[in-house]
Amino acid sequence: MRKRSLIVINLLAVLAIGTGFTFAVLAPSERTQGDFAKIMFVHVPSAWLAFLAFGVTLVGGVVWLVKKSPLADRIAASSAEVGVFFTGLALVTGMIWGYPVWGTFWDWGDARMMSTAIMFFVYVGYLALRRSIPDPETRARRSAVLGIIAFVQVPLVYFSVTLFRTLHQGTTVVRPDAPIDPEFLRALMINLGAFTLVYLAFTGWRTRLARMEDELEEAEAVSDFEIAGSGITAPRLGEVTGDV
Amino acid sequence: MNGQTFWRQVKEIARKDLLIEGRAGEALFITIPFGAVALMLIPLAIGTDKPLLAQVGPGMFLAVALLFGMLVAFRQTAADSTPQRELLTLLGTDPAAQFVGRMATSTLLLLVFEAVLAPVTIILYNPGRIPGWPWLLLVMFLLALGLSLVGTLAGSVTAGLRTRNTLTPLLVAPLSMPLLLASAQVVEALREEASILLWIALLATMNLAIAVIGVLTARPLEESSR
Repeated sequence: MRKRSLIVINLLAVLAIGTGFTFAVLAPSERTQGDFAKIMFVHVPSAWLAFLAFGVTLVGGVVWLVKKSPLADRIAASSAEVGVFFTGLALVTGMIWGYPVWGTFWDWGDARMMSTAIMFFVYVGYLALRRSIPDPETRARRSAVLGIIAFVQVPLVYFSVTLFRTLHQGTTVVRPDAPIDPEFLRALMINLGAFTLVYLAFTGWRTRLARMEDELEEAEAVSDFEIAGSGITAPRLGEVTGDV
Repeated sequence: MNGQTFWRQVKEIARKDLLIEGRAGEALFITIPFGAVALMLIPLAIGTDKPLLAQVGPGMFLAVALLFGMLVAFRQTAADSTPQRELLTLLGTDPAAQFVGRMATSTLLLLVFEAVLAPVTIILYNPGRIPGWPWLLLVMFLLALGLSLVGTLAGSVTAGLRTRNTLTPLLVAPLSMPLLLASAQVVEALREEASILLWIALLATMNLAIAVIGVLTARPLEESSR
C-alpha cells in the first residue's frame, strides 16, 4: 500500500474514532447495566476485528503456500500482530465490564472468555515462531502452516456461546430478532467501522515496516557476504623492490 | 504413489520411531513416571480433602495427560536430525506418510501413557464410579489421537530450531485446550447422565481438521526443514 493511501486511511480512522466516540457517549444507557454497557462499543468491535485479522492471516498463509508471495507473508504476519492486539483489547475490556456486572474480572465458567484467552496464546505462539526463524523463506512457510492450524480456534471462540453453558450472552447483533436498541446498534456499527479503519491503518503500516525490515535484512546479508578472493591482498611492490 | 506404498511407508516410519523409543525409553521410562509423580504432587498442594480429590480426580488426570502427553508427542526421540531428514527425502519417502507414521507412534505411546496413569488416578483420587464410564475409553483414545496430531504438527513446525524445546509447548498447549475442554465436558455430562454426543463430535471434528491440515501441509513443512 502506498504511503499516501496509508495517510488517508489514518486520517479517516482518526475521524471515524472521533465520530464513534461521540455516538457512544450519546447512545442510550442500558436498562440494567447503565453506562457500563457502553464498553461494548470497544469490546465487540475489538473481538470482531480479531476474527477478521486472524482470517487475513489464514488467507495470507494459504496465498504464500500457493504463490510464494513475500507480500502475502508480510500481510499475514502484520495482521496476526494486530489481531493479537485486538484480542488483548477484547479480553481487557471484557474483564473491566465483567467486574461491575458479573462481580468478577475473570469467570472460569465463561466459555467465550476462556476460548478467547486460548486464541490469544495460540497467536502469541505464532508470533514467537516467527521470531525464532531467521531464514525468511522457512519463516514464511512454517508460519503459513501454523496460521492455518491456528485458525481452527476462531470458529470455536465464535460458537463457544452456543456450545457451552456460559455466562457470556449469546449471539445478539446478527440475530434477525436482535434484542438491541436501534440507537445502540447504530453506535455499535459506527464504532465497528471506525475500528475496521484502525485495523487497516495498523496492518498497512506494519506491512510497510515489515517490507523495510526485509530490505534491511537483505542489504545487511549482502554487505556481510565476502567476495571470493577478498582475503588476498595485492603485493606491496615498493617494499619488495626496497629489500632487493 | 499408490496406497499400498503409502501405508508401507507409514508402517516403516512408525516401526523406526518405536524402535528408537524402545532403545531410549524416553516416553515409557521417563515421562510416564514423571506424570505419575505429578498426580501425587497435586493432593499435597491442594490438601487431602477426600471428597474434593474424588471430585477433581478425572480433571487432574486430563490435565496431566495433556501436559505430560505433550512431552510424549514431541519427545526428543521423535525429532529427526538433519542427516536423518535428508536420508528420508533421498529415499523418496512421502512427507504425509512420515507425518502419519510419526503420529501413529505418538498415539500408541500416549495410549500406553493414559493406560498407566488412569489406574494411578483411580487409586490416588478414588473418583467413584462414573455412569457410562466405558465412553471414557473412547474419549481417552480421541484425546491421545488429538494430542499426537497437534504434537506431531508442532514438532514439524519447530523442527531444527534452537528454540524447539521451549517453543513447542507454547504452540501445543493452547492448541490442545479445546481437546481438554471437550474431554472434561464429557466427564461432566456422564456424571450428570446427560448427552455426550456433542463433545464426542467436537473431539472427532478437531482431530479430523488437524489430520487433514497435517497431511496437506506435510510437504511444505518437509521442504522447509531441508
